[in-house]
Amino acid sequence: MLFIEDGAPVIVQGMTGHQGMTHTARMLRAGTNIVGGVNPRKAGATVTFPGAKGEKDADIPVFATCSEARNATGAKASVVFVPPRFAKDAVVEAVEAGIELVVVITEGIPVADSAYFVELALQKGVRIIGPNCPGLITLGDPGVNLGIIPDGIVGRGPLGLVSKSGTLTYQLMGELSDIGFTACLGAGGDPIVGTTLLEALEAFEADPNTKAVMMIGEIGGFAEQEAAAWAKEHMTKPVVAYIAGFTAPEGKQMGHAGAIVSGGKGTAQDKKNALEAAGIPVGKTPGQAAQLMRDVLDKANIA
Amino acid sequence: MDLYEYQARELLEEQDIPTPGAIFAQNSHEVAEAADKIGYPCVIKAQVKIGHRGQAGGVKIAHNRDEAILESEAILPMTIHGHKVSGVLVAEAKNILHEYYVSISVDRTSRDFDVLATANGGTEVEEIAKEHPESVKRLHIEALGDFDLEAATKMAESIGFYHADVDQAAQILLKMWRCFKENDATLVEINPLAKIGDPDDESTKQLCALDAKISLDDNAAFRHGGWTRFVDPIVPDPFEQKAREHGLHYVHLRGEVGVIGNGAGLVMSSLDAVSGAGEEQGTGIKPANFLDIGGGASAAVMAGSLEIVLSDPQVESVFINVYGGITSCVEVANGILEAVKTLGSSKPIVVRFDGNAAAEGLHILAEANNPIIHVSQTMEGAAQKAAQLAAEAVGSKEVR
Repeated sequence: MLFIEDGAPVIVQGMTGHQGMTHTARMLRAGTNIVGGVNPRKAGATVTFPGAKGEKDADIPVFATCSEARNATGAKASVVFVPPRFAKDAVVEAVEAGIELVVVITEGIPVADSAYFVELALQKGVRIIGPNCPGLITLGDPGVNLGIIPDGIVGRGPLGLVSKSGTLTYQLMGELSDIGFTACLGAGGDPIVGTTLLEALEAFEADPNTKAVMMIGEIGGFAEQEAAAWAKEHMTKPVVAYIAGFTAPEGKQMGHAGAIVSGGKGTAQDKKNALEAAGIPVGKTPGQAAQLMRDVLDKANIA
Repeated sequence: MDLYEYQARELLEEQDIPTPGAIFAQNSHEVAEAADKIGYPCVIKAQVKIGHRGQAGGVKIAHNRDEAILESEAILPMTIHGHKVSGVLVAEAKNILHEYYVSISVDRTSRDFDVLATANGGTEVEEIAKEHPESVKRLHIEALGDFDLEAATKMAESIGFYHADVDQAAQILLKMWRCFKENDATLVEINPLAKIGDPDDESTKQLCALDAKISLDDNAAFRHGGWTRFVDPIVPDPFEQKAREHGLHYVHLRGEVGVIGNGAGLVMSSLDAVSGAGEEQGTGIKPANFLDIGGGASAAVMAGSLEIVLSDPQVESVFINVYGGITSCVEVANGILEAVKTLGSSKPIVVRFDGNAAAEGLHILAEANNPIIHVSQTMEGAAQKAAQLAAEAVGSKEVR
């Protein structure tokens, strides 16, 4: 099982909000087994998503709490669209209710709150993905779409993908759509995330169906260097990387909370150097990274 | 958000961390008044959000009123490492017996908080760590845990504080932690934390925070009234200001190609592609800005973004790179046409669409048949084209 089993029951926290409604409909149409929403103020209601389950309508019950939802549905995963102000409580609630995988899409969560729920999840053996990420897509039969990654860009194939950026995830998925993926994971652009680039590599290394991994990094922190060091020691599968932000000026936050070069640390060049020193080729553009991946696959006789 | 020293001091004082008497002043008249109040000698310190200001001449001692005025008149108009001085802090001069370094920060790697300290304070901690790595002590505060007197005392002992200083240092560490937590800081640094006083009189000796650096978590602004008390008195870049009013992520750079895209990573990647194209073409063309329209942007957001970018006189061409996820390329296309129509700008725009409704978006642009709008199939191709058009525009200006 890579991150989540096919057909696993999923709940959506913040389902009844605008974002939650839009993306729950999308996730349902992608074949995700969504079994409930959580909103204490709308508990007992049922939300209908017209034509979202094949041709039929999907009627999704709303529960007051995660544990109520889990007891009623056996939910194994939760997708969180709750606004930043309430996100910490929502994620803590999911972790404590025994949800195994919590995907946090919300952007703008204070780092102290993320640190708290990430540590709690690590203690309880729960995997968090995000926050400030596009989510997770697995390409099974039918696969699971948790978050906001568009469905239908790619089909199943031998590649794994992990990325700090949403649209660059889609970009590389598009570039390599003819080869296909086992799973694409948006790690998130915040300083503290539940699943790091390194931890995603660990999961792809352990998955027998993944044969090579595309890793997309950006300025800020040391996640790429740490992933490179780990890959050098432990990874038997080839990794190709792309790093964004070579032209980012010092001390300026580039959109993502975590994307900042400070005190000369966290530059794209440092990351590229560390990756290349670990034998991981780094593309200059997304297109070139995709080409490097094709070369690697050819050389290793994959796909 | 990084704070100025005078703002950071306020937060330390709120926790009863000892600091020297000091007054913030923005002109030489205010400086004279402040210096008289503080007494002589006093220190005149440039307020800038960048390190190494001392080496740049931004910190001076004044022994009397005339010196205070003279020094401040030299410092106030300064720009230090690209940062304009916002004022000066007039502070009591202290007799320093020893300098320590202490900080608490978010540790992205261990995903918790990091207390860092050394008895070799005074300079930047990176330099201390290079020269005396053994002297730098480190302690993690777990995100679910807390930092208590016992841990703080142990830390103070390990750094090398002696006797009575241990208790005072432990109290200061605890207060720093409180300051860090209560204010949603990402960094609270005191450097130097100085032992001050008369070397011959034990009773006058104490620890005092002579300089401080604090960064606050922008994402936590909702818990702190939007941090209005720390709003920068310096008017920021007018383009960055305008983008902020529109709720857009914008960073002003110094090149010729305006860049607009959706998603921080894709926009950063687009900047790199423009720089790369400028290098390859031998023109040195660079991006003029970073502008992320975010997810699910409407035609109005796109039009507003293009208006900001085109109002920048250094922009010679614009590169719009959108991978439609939530964002529909139809909305983006309509926004582009709307802005071009209202602004009447003749600067070339190179568009690359992919993903959600890309074909429909490109169709709308083709129908409009506007000669300033160019379309490219790949982002690399679009970056090349935008860089080339910008270089041509720069070239024709030089000819004229």
